[in-house]
Amino acid sequence: MLTIDRLTKRRGSALILSDVTFQARPGRVTGFLGPNGAGKSSTLRILLGLDRPTSGTALVDGVPFERLPDPLRTVGAVLDGSGAHRARTGRAHLSWVAAAAGIPRRRVDEVLAEVDLTGAARKRVGSYSLGMGRRLGLAAALLGDPAALVLDEPVNGLDPEGIRWMRRFLRERAEAGHTVLLSSHLMGELAEVVDDVVIINGGRVVEQGTLAEVTGAHRTLEDAFFALTTGARGDAR
Amino acid sequence: MSAYSGELRKLTSLPSVWAAFAIGIAVPAVVGVLSAVSTSSAIANGSKPEAGPDLGYQELAFGVAGAIVLGVVAASSEYFTEGESAGSGRQITTSLTAVPSRTRFLLAKVAALTTAVVLMSAIATGITLSCVQAVVGDHAHALDGAAATRVPGVVLYWVLTALLAFGITLLTRNGVVPLAVLVLNTSVVTVTFLLSKVTPLAVYFPDLAGMRMFLTEVRVPVELSPLTGGVVMAVWVVLLLACGFTAFTRRDA
Repeated sequence: MLTIDRLTKRRGSALILSDVTFQARPGRVTGFLGPNGAGKSSTLRILLGLDRPTSGTALVDGVPFERLPDPLRTVGAVLDGSGAHRARTGRAHLSWVAAAAGIPRRRVDEVLAEVDLTGAARKRVGSYSLGMGRRLGLAAALLGDPAALVLDEPVNGLDPEGIRWMRRFLRERAEAGHTVLLSSHLMGELAEVVDDVVIINGGRVVEQGTLAEVTGAHRTLEDAFFALTTGARGDAR
Repeated sequence: MSAYSGELRKLTSLPSVWAAFAIGIAVPAVVGVLSAVSTSSAIANGSKPEAGPDLGYQELAFGVAGAIVLGVVAASSEYFTEGESAGSGRQITTSLTAVPSRTRFLLAKVAALTTAVVLMSAIATGITLSCVQAVVGDHAHALDGAAATRVPGVVLYWVLTALLAFGITLLTRNGVVPLAVLVLNTSVVTVTFLLSKVTPLAVYFPDLAGMRMFLTEVRVPVELSPLTGGVVMAVWVVLLLACGFTAFTRRDA
C-alpha cells in the first residue's frame, strides 16, 4: 500500500504540489494522470525519497521509503529513461544494482529474459533505443520481485507493440496481488489498464476514484480528464 | 557491505575507470623511465655524481592524475544525463532507490573509491620505482631505506587527492570543471606552485602540502615535515568531503 498524505512542495516561490493526498492499493493499477508539469514526477520522486517534501508524508506500507529495510524487494521504480549510465552494458548495470541490494546474481538473467533484453545484455546502454532503455529500467525494478511498482510515464516512447506488452504486464502484476502506481499524461493508452484514477493538475488533486467514478457521465476517461483539467488550470499559482 | 560491493561493481564496469587506471599506472612509469635514462647517462659522463633523491617519486606526483579522474568520475557518473532522446534519465535515481540512506550510500562510495585508488597507486608505485631502480641501479634512491615511509606517503597522497576530487564533484555534480582544474594543476601549469612564489601561504594548498609526504626537494618558501604536510592535506579533504556530504544529503537528488 502506497500512501500519499497532504504532500506540499515548494521550490523557491513556486508551489509544485499542494496538499496532494491519495493511495495506491494492492491488487489494483492506480493511474496518476495529469498534463505535463502537473506534479506527477515530483510526487513520485518524493515517494521514493529522491526529493524532500515541504510538508506532508509519503509512505510505503506505513514507512518512509528511506527507512525500508529492503527497499528493492518492497518497491520497484522506473523514473526517467533507463536510470543506467550509457557507457555500461545492460547486464553490468543490473549486476551492480543486484549487488547493492543484496539480490542473488541469477536474478539478473531472469529479469533480462522477463523484459526480453537477453540478446542486448552485452551491448552498451548508450546504443539502446528509448524502448529498450525503458525495459532495462523495468528489469532493474523487477530484480527484487517487489510487492509494489512505481512507474513514471511507462508507455512514453514505446511503439504500439511495446505499449501492448506493457499493458498486459501491468494487468498481470496487479492480478497477482501487487500494487501498481503509474503516472501518465496519455489518457487513451491507459484507460483499459487502470482500476483507480487520480487526476492532478497544477499541483492539486482535482479528482480521484475508480475508473467508473471518475469517468462518470463523460463518454471516456479522456473526456473526463479534459473537462477536469482545462477548467482548473493555473489554480495552484 | 552490499552497498560497498555495488559501488565496487559500478567502478569496475565503467570504461572511464579503466582509462584512469591506464593513466595512473602508465604515466609515472613512462616518465620515470625517461628521466632515469637521462639521469643514468648524466652519471655515466660525469656531469652528475648520483641520482636525485626524488627520482621516481617526482613522476608519481604526476601520476596522481589517474586518481583525480577516478575521484571525479565516481561522483559525476551518477549525474551524467542519458540525453533527451533516451529519456533524460540519471543513474543517481537508481542508486538511491537501491540504497536509500544517503549516508550509507556515500560511505560505500568513499570505501570503494579508496579501495580502487590504493590498488592503483600501489601498482603504479611498484612499477615506477622498480623501473627507475633497474635503469639507474645502485645510484638510485627509489628503493633505499626511506622508501618504507615514502611509499605509503605516495599511496596516501593519491587516496586523499581522489577524495578531494570526489568531494568537489559532489558539489558541482558535473565532472568537467573539477577534472580540468585538478588535472591541469598537476600536469601542465601548477597554479598552486606558482602561487607559492607570490605568497608563502600557498605551501598549505592540499597538493603542495601533501607532496611533502614523499618528496624531499620541493622549492617552496616554507618547509613542512612529511607528517605536517599529510595532516594539512587531510584537513582539506575532510572539510571538502564534509561540504560535499552536506550538500548531497540536503539537496533533492
